[in-house]
Amino acid sequence: MESASPFASGPPRQRPAMVSNPTSVVQTPLIGRSMAPSSSVPLPSPFGSALPGFSRPAATPLASRPPPPGAIPQGPIAGNGPRIPGFTAPRTLPPPSVQPAPPSAASSSIRPPTPYASATQDSGLQSYPGSPPSGASVATLPMPFVGPPASQQFGRPPTSQPLFSGPPRSQPPFAGAQYLQRPMAGSTNSQLPLAGPPTSQSPFLGPPTSQPPFTGPPTSQPPRPNTPQPPFAGLPTPQQFGGPSTQTLTGPPISQFVGPPTSQPYAGRSSSPSQMATPSSQPFSMPPTVGTSFGSPVWPSQPGQMVPSLPGNVQAPPRMFGMPPGMPGQPIPPVLPAMGHSALAGPQVSTQSKIDPNQIPRPLPNSSITIFETRQGNQANVPPSATSIFVVKDNGNCSPRLMRCTLNQIPCTGDLLSTSSMPFALMVQPLALPHPSDDPIPVVDFGESGPVRCSRCKSYINAFMRFIDHGRTFVCNLCGFTNETPRDYLCNLGPDGRRRDADERLELCKGTVEFVATREYMVRDPMPAVFFFLIDVSLNAIQTGATAAACSAISQSLADLPDGPRTMVGIATFDCSIHFYNLRRASQQPLMLIVPDIHDVYTPLHTDVVVPLTECRQSVEQLLESIPSLFENNKVSDSAFGAAIKAGFLALKPTGGKLLVFQSVLPSVGIGSLSSREAEGRTNASAGDKEAHKLLQPADKTLKTMAIEFAEYQVCVDIFITAQTFVDIASISVVPGTTGGQVYYYYPFSALSDPGKLYNDLRWNLSRPQGFEAVMRVRCSQGLQVQEYAGSFCKRIPTDIDLPAIDCEKTIMVTFKHDDKFQENSECAFQCALLYTTVYGERRIRVINLSLPCTSMLTNLFRTADLDTQFACILKQAASSIPVNSLSQVREQITNLCINILHAYRKFCATVSSSGQLILPEALKLLPLYTLALVKSIGLRNDGRFDDRSYWASHVMSLSISLAVPLVYPRMISIHDLTAKENDGSLSSSNIPLSSEHINDDGIYLLENGEDCLIYVGNMVNPDTLQKLFGVTSVDGLPTQLVLQQFDNDLSEKLSDVMNEIRQQRCSYLRLRLCKKGDPSGMHFMSYMIEDKTAGGLSYVEFLVHVHRQIQTKMA
Amino acid sequence: MAEELAGTGAAASDPDGPDGVRMTWNNWPRTKVEASKCIVPVAASISPIRPSPTLLVLPYHPLRCKPPCFAVLNPFAVVDFAAKIWICPLCFTRNHFPPHYAGISENNMPGELYPQCTTVEYAPPPLDHLSSPPPPPPVFLFVIDTCIIEEELVFLKSAMRRAIGLLPDNALVGLLTFGRMVQLYELGFTEVSKIYVFKGTKEIPKEQILDQLGLSTTNVRHGAVIGAPGYPKSPQSNGFHPSGSVNRFLLPAADCEYALNTLLDEMQTDQWPVEAGSRSLRCTGVALSVAAGLLGACMPGTGARIIALVGGPCTQGPGMIVSKDLSDPVRCHKDLDKDAAPHFHKAVKFYDNLAKQLVNQGHVLDLFASALDQVGVAEMKVAVERTGGLVVLAESFGHSVFKDSFKQIFEDGEQSLGLSFNGTLEINCSKDIKIQGIIGSCTSLEKKGALCADTVVGQGNTTSWKMCGLDRSTCLTVFFDISTTERSNQSGIPNPQLYIQFLTNYQGPEGQMRLRVTTVTRKWADSSNTEELVQGFDQETAAVVLARFTSLKMEMEEGFDATRWLDRSLIRLCSRFGDYRKEDPASFTLNPNFSILPQFMFNLRRSQFVQVFNNSPDETAYFRMMLNRESITNSVVMIQPSLLLYSFNSPPVPALLDVASISADRILLLDAYFSVVIFHGMTIAQWRNMGYQNQPEHQAFAELLQAPQHDAQTIIRERFPVPRLVVCDQHGSQARFLLAKLNPSATYNSSHEVAVGSDIIFTDDVSLQIFCEHLQRLVVQS
Repeated sequence: MESASPFASGPPRQRPAMVSNPTSVVQTPLIGRSMAPSSSVPLPSPFGSALPGFSRPAATPLASRPPPPGAIPQGPIAGNGPRIPGFTAPRTLPPPSVQPAPPSAASSSIRPPTPYASATQDSGLQSYPGSPPSGASVATLPMPFVGPPASQQFGRPPTSQPLFSGPPRSQPPFAGAQYLQRPMAGSTNSQLPLAGPPTSQSPFLGPPTSQPPFTGPPTSQPPRPNTPQPPFAGLPTPQQFGGPSTQTLTGPPISQFVGPPTSQPYAGRSSSPSQMATPSSQPFSMPPTVGTSFGSPVWPSQPGQMVPSLPGNVQAPPRMFGMPPGMPGQPIPPVLPAMGHSALAGPQVSTQSKIDPNQIPRPLPNSSITIFETRQGNQANVPPSATSIFVVKDNGNCSPRLMRCTLNQIPCTGDLLSTSSMPFALMVQPLALPHPSDDPIPVVDFGESGPVRCSRCKSYINAFMRFIDHGRTFVCNLCGFTNETPRDYLCNLGPDGRRRDADERLELCKGTVEFVATREYMVRDPMPAVFFFLIDVSLNAIQTGATAAACSAISQSLADLPDGPRTMVGIATFDCSIHFYNLRRASQQPLMLIVPDIHDVYTPLHTDVVVPLTECRQSVEQLLESIPSLFENNKVSDSAFGAAIKAGFLALKPTGGKLLVFQSVLPSVGIGSLSSREAEGRTNASAGDKEAHKLLQPADKTLKTMAIEFAEYQVCVDIFITAQTFVDIASISVVPGTTGGQVYYYYPFSALSDPGKLYNDLRWNLSRPQGFEAVMRVRCSQGLQVQEYAGSFCKRIPTDIDLPAIDCEKTIMVTFKHDDKFQENSECAFQCALLYTTVYGERRIRVINLSLPCTSMLTNLFRTADLDTQFACILKQAASSIPVNSLSQVREQITNLCINILHAYRKFCATVSSSGQLILPEALKLLPLYTLALVKSIGLRNDGRFDDRSYWASHVMSLSISLAVPLVYPRMISIHDLTAKENDGSLSSSNIPLSSEHINDDGIYLLENGEDCLIYVGNMVNPDTLQKLFGVTSVDGLPTQLVLQQFDNDLSEKLSDVMNEIRQQRCSYLRLRLCKKGDPSGMHFMSYMIEDKTAGGLSYVEFLVHVHRQIQTKMA
Repeated sequence: MAEELAGTGAAASDPDGPDGVRMTWNNWPRTKVEASKCIVPVAASISPIRPSPTLLVLPYHPLRCKPPCFAVLNPFAVVDFAAKIWICPLCFTRNHFPPHYAGISENNMPGELYPQCTTVEYAPPPLDHLSSPPPPPPVFLFVIDTCIIEEELVFLKSAMRRAIGLLPDNALVGLLTFGRMVQLYELGFTEVSKIYVFKGTKEIPKEQILDQLGLSTTNVRHGAVIGAPGYPKSPQSNGFHPSGSVNRFLLPAADCEYALNTLLDEMQTDQWPVEAGSRSLRCTGVALSVAAGLLGACMPGTGARIIALVGGPCTQGPGMIVSKDLSDPVRCHKDLDKDAAPHFHKAVKFYDNLAKQLVNQGHVLDLFASALDQVGVAEMKVAVERTGGLVVLAESFGHSVFKDSFKQIFEDGEQSLGLSFNGTLEINCSKDIKIQGIIGSCTSLEKKGALCADTVVGQGNTTSWKMCGLDRSTCLTVFFDISTTERSNQSGIPNPQLYIQFLTNYQGPEGQMRLRVTTVTRKWADSSNTEELVQGFDQETAAVVLARFTSLKMEMEEGFDATRWLDRSLIRLCSRFGDYRKEDPASFTLNPNFSILPQFMFNLRRSQFVQVFNNSPDETAYFRMMLNRESITNSVVMIQPSLLLYSFNSPPVPALLDVASISADRILLLDAYFSVVIFHGMTIAQWRNMGYQNQPEHQAFAELLQAPQHDAQTIIRERFPVPRLVVCDQHGSQARFLLAKLNPSATYNSSHEVAVGSDIIFTDDVSLQIFCEHLQRLVVQS
């Protein structure tokens, strides 16, 4: 694990333990420095205790798991990509071949979704292997619908494809696969659910369960994500699955889909409604009982229900698909997860009711762990979903954590790309946290000469450079230039054309390596780790307790700063003037140096403002302790934020470093002072919304200019905003946004509940893996060129970006454009080089390589599309456009993008299917849901505060993929029944769709998006539950400012465990807020119910209908 | 009565008399024309608050003449006891005595009418005893240079500690240090040491300083609750603006003594790095303007001193006198002459503005410069002089010139300098007299009146002057003009006497307000009678006035040739008042009242006041400031040092200021005011080196050695700033301090054989004898 940490040299850094606030009401105390974060806290701090590194269930489990699941070794992976229904049959074909192997190999490589694995195991189903065969049968079911869902679920289904190889080749495999499997196995159900690519498929989990009963028909059903369905089971399942399945079979089905179709499937549902209700509840409850795999639990209940329905379903579907039948042969059509198409088709009027909300695609998180080999057989594997848990084996391509592309096959031409409408970008998270079991990133030292580089494009030596002429020359994989091999790097080639030492030389076999930088890469000695804290001590900050919280947080975080003499700290406070402190004074009292000129700031001392931590720890701590009392009676309400950061910058100028600013009010005086634009905005709003977005733009260029100067001197600014009012984040966030920093926002700051998060945020900020004075550049093969970088950085020359600081969470988006064509069978390479200084003062070059195959087939593009990455890309683009365009425009753009992508798929890859169907590419089946969620997100909602929106935008710009999805599409779980769920405490199993119909008055729900954590308490909650969780007996007794304590009972402990797990997973402490039904907080909670119809937006079903209609229009 | 008084000037044992007024001409020429023929300007040297044992202090308000005269009732008034009327001697207006003077009679006169009380002081009780606040305490704001070497800082700290120990408990003290930046200490903040830091490169307007310190009256920035409108405007008990938390920075000495000592303990030399080949960056200008700005928050009328301890030149920001580059030398006189001192005028302008600000506020700038090189006294002179500040120039903070002078400021009782604040001087005089202006430590208040002359000398165009700081030895030179014409004289009532009244309002060291009234009278000389003029001539005063006048001209007039001007003046004076036959040098004689003047002039020509090229601009400025502010007696010593001769068998006797006075068996004591030199003849030195003085049988020798030491100490003790004491031996290197002052009657050119034990001076300068010969010859040439 240690080695895995990016900073090889340094001691391994752990994630900060999030300190939970269990016992005492006041969090801060808990945080008490005395306590070792992890150990001290009663509740195992999420990160701390549990995971040394990042303990996730991780490795061990894998190991333990039976090979079976794994069965789908690499092959499957390859297949996975293709899985997508439609996917080029041809493509798939190859996999098939592979797949066959899988079964056998299975045991060994099994990386596939462990989850499944478990499921499968339990069920005893053969899982994939089996499925494929079924696939064959499926094949017969031409219908994408069925197929797709199935496939989705199976995710891995690819495996199935191979099986189908024959007829089904194409999509059918999936669909078929599922079906097939079921039939075959009978037990299949389990497989199916599992099979599905963890993320997407998971939703279907439920269905699988149901399937079993149906056996034959069930196959179709499995797709249903929602376990709840069982109730409908009968109808719903059939529809969806059945639909598909049937489709293949019967022509008629088609009709159904079209106009009527809706009726049918839904009809079924509609009839079932009653069932629905119950079922919904059941599903959840059910699974828990089973405990084992998700799939299995379901079964029991479902069977009964399902069975009956099935028949009908089955029939129905066939009709619907009628059209498809012909399809079977066609590889493409099947692609679609045939989900609601029928429903959609029907969209009009009555239809809605007919769409079964439980059947539509939803993310199905999966807590199982897969093993991902980046390349196999000299081919790039399609990485698992960014939000799933996986272990990376680096065999040539980089870990997808570090860099992944929206498309896993690169379009040969720009036209092909634009036809697909999909975004083409790379998400680079160069210092991303590895999984503890990931291959460590090797450090390679070339000695004096430095790493070998292409003499033309200066790209670094990597596994894809081709050595020729007995190794005397090598061809750059990026620019194609033939270079002389340096003499001391010579090595003969083996019979396979590779260098004989290729496997020993890590830079020639690993996708990611770190080179030790030579003098040539340094302008000066590597900078020390310098941290300068700037604390707002104006009236407001003092009175709200923000200052005290900041001081306490800093004081406790000192222990987490890197050890050693190179770690320096400095502290300053500010109100309408800036107060520095001489920290190296021998005397007992701190010495405060006030800089009153806030229009022309300067540092008051040459030395002793920034001091080595080891020498002055005591005085620093003492100072932090006394700051709140020093300013206890401060009456100054103004804040010279701009001047303060400038002053802090001047103190850091000689070395560079991190400037951490705690700000509580609108900067009102001095350089870069701001006015309360929000108020103006409000009054103008009546005149029209047109100019509103301008409030999301910085007020002026002052801060930007300053920020650029900061970046030049390697100063990174992080800002912790503990505000009660408007602070103009739009203007302020420019500084962190330009210097590689980030904004933390606590609004409205509560001295009771926020210090815990403040501390944990700060702690993680300081202790997470990070680097300084970094320069990053992404190179790509000839044929492409970098179009733009997006994220938190400063760009002074077109090709490079400057990152005064870079940490494990910062993600940079790089977009590309074609300037030439690729050959069909060539590979397109990307290389990201990050030159940085570690916290221990070592200069390193991290080189991240990714080589992806090129394709001229649109289906391949869709098959290997990476939903999470694409969505992250769309999200960032939306964030960057809200300051420029009006909200309605942005929302329209996003919706149109979604429609265009689906339309492209519909038009070019699923032409065969009925126009009445909404056909979604398997890989992108959640795109509409995410798009809807994005449209309804804080950033794009009309009713958002400007600061919230600005914060959202700035937060999103450097957000990692794995956090981007939950930010927009949060996770909701019920907690009143936590103890009833036996499933090994994994969160993911019990996600509830974000729809108010799943919220019961007697329930307590937890919703988190990686930032905030809302706990919703219904008004009919069992007092006993309240007592257990919150220590109060009635809803009315709940405090408005929630501090979660751990009580001595199972439920409370369970909740703590859950909280900790979430915190650990998100690397965020989460802001807890209590929401009660019937008061504004409850309304706030409900605003996260994305699937609901709201004043400002469509319900999920309506949205699907809308999308479908738009596509139909375009098709016509 | 008047005649008696007229004579007091030169005759009395106390040359300044109880009035502290000395005039160049005690009998005034009647007309402008006659005055111009007198060559030596009609001027009076006054010591406004000179202590006097006979001074009468009256505990009530003065009685004043009707406007616009406003003269105060004085012994020269004609009083009609019966009618209860007095006639003002200056304007001849008749005034009724007010009711409370009802009891006045020939046998019951108020103090101010006693003939001998030409100078009285009024110390009226406050208007209402109960509500009135105690007098505001004095304020001392120390401004300390930290761009000095460690050793100097140690000296400085010890001087500061001693000063702090001497401060009266109620005195308010503030501390400000500077180097590259300015650090202002907030002494009232107890939890931590709080320091406001200002950048040294930028001039900060006063308002901004107050604003930045949170002291601005509007308090816009701090949104403070205090100082809101409606708050009584009346001064607070501490004399500060109500909003002023000035007492954050200025604390009673008793309260902050500990804090100050702690700060001094921790005080370090400026920590900013100094590049090789550079001077350290020092922002004296900004430091002083911050100090002035801070004091701006005090109520006007609060006596406050900025005490600046400066160890080097200002090298950045406003007031900069030289660049930080060491290869760029500090300006010298030559540069100033050639206008080759790039920073000079800017700096002077800056300090001029600072002076204006301080005068407005009524605050004083004292300058203690201790450095081997110049620190910019020449530029700062204006601020120091206008505010009536003290200035001391020393080589080191460890040198007694600094140490002892610095200590003297804070001493009270016998040693006290009697530092007073907020003085205003008003001059009223008979109507034929106009005032040209004043040379000295004061500032014109630009209060124009009928008494102002057209030509201005020094601070003019006014009848009222501000003296932010003044002390017992403060001396001003007032220049008068005679405006009578023949006609006006005839038309007016012939009055043989002229009257001048000096009114000095000031706040004494204890904070009490006083008004000192000095009324003098002099006689108009009969226009036809030169004798009268000659009799009334005061040659010491004339020499000093000429010196001051020349110095001023040298500063003000470009290309002014002082030596030539002095020579011509002397020649004209001698030809006007000397007795001689034309073309017969040998016949030339001078009245005793004029007889020493040529010698004064000879020494003045050679003095540091005229011969600037051997001095730095800083020294010249320093010498001139001292010349202007000291009494006539002291100033004469500056011009022509006194030399005492000690030898066996005779008491100490004054000796000729001549190289001939040197003898191997004598000890000489030279008092050149700025330095006191004890010079041992060769033989004496040898004896002393052999230790004879330690042998009982040579006690006489020991006493001989001791006597000049004792006398030197007496001189030193009485003087501020403390002179440098030089003890040297004949032919020693330090002997130059003596030789430079002696008349070079024997040089390497002189043909005379040198007597054993005597000495010669290596110079080409003419000796006094030759000078006089030339003078005689020129005077008699028609």
